[in-house]
Amino acid sequence: MDIKQTVLDILNDLTGSDVSGAMDDNLFDSGLMDSMGSVQLLLQLQSQLGVNVPVSEFERSEWDTPNKIIAKVESLA
Amino acid sequence: MRVARRKQSLGGQSMIRDMITAMDHWALQDPERLAYDDLGHTNTYGELKQRSDALAAHLDNMALPAHAPIMVYGGQTFDMMATFLGIVKSGHAYVPIDTHSPVERITTINDIAHPAAAIAVSALPTTLGDTPIIDGSTLNTIFDQHVDYQVTHGVSGDETYYIIFTSGTTGKPKGVQISHTNLLSYVNWMLSDDFKLPQAPRTLSQAPYSFDLSVMDWGPTLAAGGTLVALPKQVTDNFKALFETLPTMNLNVWVSTPSFVDICLMEPTFDASHYPNLSRFLFCGEELTHATASNLHQRFPKARIFNTYGPTETTVAVTQVEITEQILADYPRLPIGYTKDDTRITVVDDQLHPLPAGTEGELLISGPSMSKGYLNNPEKTAKAFIKMAGKTVYRSGDLGVQLDNGLIMYRGRTDFQIKLHGYRIELEEVNHYLSQEDHIQVGVAVPRYDRNHKVSQLIAWIVPATHEFTNELDLTKAIKENLQGGDMMAYMIPQRFVYKESLPMTPNGKVDIKSIIAEVNQ
Repeated sequence: MDIKQTVLDILNDLTGSDVSGAMDDNLFDSGLMDSMGSVQLLLQLQSQLGVNVPVSEFERSEWDTPNKIIAKVESLA
Repeated sequence: MRVARRKQSLGGQSMIRDMITAMDHWALQDPERLAYDDLGHTNTYGELKQRSDALAAHLDNMALPAHAPIMVYGGQTFDMMATFLGIVKSGHAYVPIDTHSPVERITTINDIAHPAAAIAVSALPTTLGDTPIIDGSTLNTIFDQHVDYQVTHGVSGDETYYIIFTSGTTGKPKGVQISHTNLLSYVNWMLSDDFKLPQAPRTLSQAPYSFDLSVMDWGPTLAAGGTLVALPKQVTDNFKALFETLPTMNLNVWVSTPSFVDICLMEPTFDASHYPNLSRFLFCGEELTHATASNLHQRFPKARIFNTYGPTETTVAVTQVEITEQILADYPRLPIGYTKDDTRITVVDDQLHPLPAGTEGELLISGPSMSKGYLNNPEKTAKAFIKMAGKTVYRSGDLGVQLDNGLIMYRGRTDFQIKLHGYRIELEEVNHYLSQEDHIQVGVAVPRYDRNHKVSQLIAWIVPATHEFTNELDLTKAIKENLQGGDMMAYMIPQRFVYKESLPMTPNGKVDIKSIIAEVNQ
C-alpha cells in the first residue's frame, strides 16, 4: 500500500481539504488539525496502515506537517 | 474575620459565608500553603492575598464606576486567579476571556459588556476602543506592591461576581451574570457530603477560565485551602507532553469534560496504579456516556465518579449523581443526577404546565444559584428568565425526565428537537443509539431541511470504529441492520450516513452540532 497516498487520504478526510499542495504547511497553525483530529489520525493510521503510535509518544512538533507525518509513518511501518 | 464558619450537619467541611474571606482565610492562617501549581512553578495563599490586595487598592484608586465589570484576558495562570480576586475585592465583577479566543469574540464582548477596564494578564491581540487597558508590565508592578488592604466593599450578596459569556455559535454571545450569592450556593454544595471531596485537594485545572466548568475546579478548591494544578492547552495539545505531565501532577480531584478524559483513556497507563491519589472524577459540560464512565471505572475502581449537569445560567451545575457499579448496571444511558438541596427543578410541557414523574419535558430551574440574567440584554433575559406563580425560573431549553426515585435523565435540547414526517425526534436520542452501535465510535444525526423549512432527511455524521468492510456501502448496511434490530424506532434511523475521521468541536470540547447542521444545509 502506498503510505504517502494513504496518509494524504486520511488527512484530506480529516481536515476536509486537499493538503497535497501544501506538504510543509503546519496543520495545527492553520487550524486544520487539533487534539481531537490528532486522536483520529492515530486511530486511522492504526486501522488503515497497521501503524501503532502510542498516544504518549505523539510529540506534536514531529507530526505537524503532511511531509513530517508521512516520514514518521514510513519510519514506523 | 468576616467569615463565620460553622459545621454542616452532614459534612466534614465548613459552610462558606463569603468567598473572598474564605480564600483570604488560608493566607492568614497558613500563608505558605500552596494555592497554585503551574507545571511545578508554585504560588502560595500568602501571595494570592498580597497580589489581589495590591490590585484591589490600585483599582480603588482608579475610581471606576462602582460595580462596573472588568475584562480579564489570559490563560491558566496564578496571576489570573490573583487578578480575579483583586477585582472582586474592589467591588467589581470580572469577565474572563481565554487566550485562545478569536479576536472578534474579544471585541464583541468588549462592545456588549462596556467594561470599565481590561486587564491583559497575557498580551491582548487587539485594541479595545475606549476601554482603558492595564497591560502585563503595569500589572507586574502592581503585584510587586505590598499594601495593607481592608476589604470594605468587596462583591457580596446579589452583586455580580463574574460574567461568563456563552459560546453562542449563532448570534451575539450572552454574558451570564453570576452573583456572590449564586457562587456561594454552588461552592457550598460542592463542599457538602454530596461530593465528599478530599480535604484541601490538589485539583486539575484544565478548563479555560472563560468556561464555567473551571468554577468547578477553582471554586471549591480555593475555598477549602486546596491547590489548583494547572494543565494549560499548550500541554494538552501535545499528547507526549500531556502524558509526561499528568503523572507528575499528583492529583486528587479531576474536573473535565468527558471528551478530555476520553483522550486520557487512550493511554493504557492512565489508571489507579499510576495515579494512586486520584480519588474523584467530576464531569460536566456534555453528556457522560456509559462507555466512558465504565471504562474509567475499570481503570480507577476505587475512585468515585460523579456526573453533574447544569446551565451556566444556574452556576455550573445543579444536579449530581455518583456513577457507581449499580448505576452502571441499572442505566444504559446515565442519569444526570439529583437536584441540589436548595434548588428546584420542574419538568414542564411546552405550555409550561408541570408534568408528573416519568414524563419528558423541559427543565425549569430556580433557586439561589440562578443568575439575575444576561448583561445588557433585557430582551434575552426576559425570554429565558420567566415568571411562574410569582417566582422567577430559568427556562433551560433542556429536556429531561424525573424518575420516581428523584433521578433526572437528560433527553436533549428543545432546540435540537425535530419533526420528521410527523414524528417527534430528539437528535440527542438518535445520537445516543448511534454511539452505542458496534461499528460507530461517535455519531451525530442532523436534519436536512427542504425549501419549506421542513425536515426532509436525517443525516448521520459518523466516525466509524475499526472495521473490516472494504467499502462504505457495506459498512452502512451493517450499521442499519444493527440499528433496526435494536431499541431504536425505525423513523429515528438516519437515511444517509456520512463517514468522517472526526467531528467538528466547539472551543469547549463539545461536538459542534450547529456547525454540522449548517454544513449539511448549505
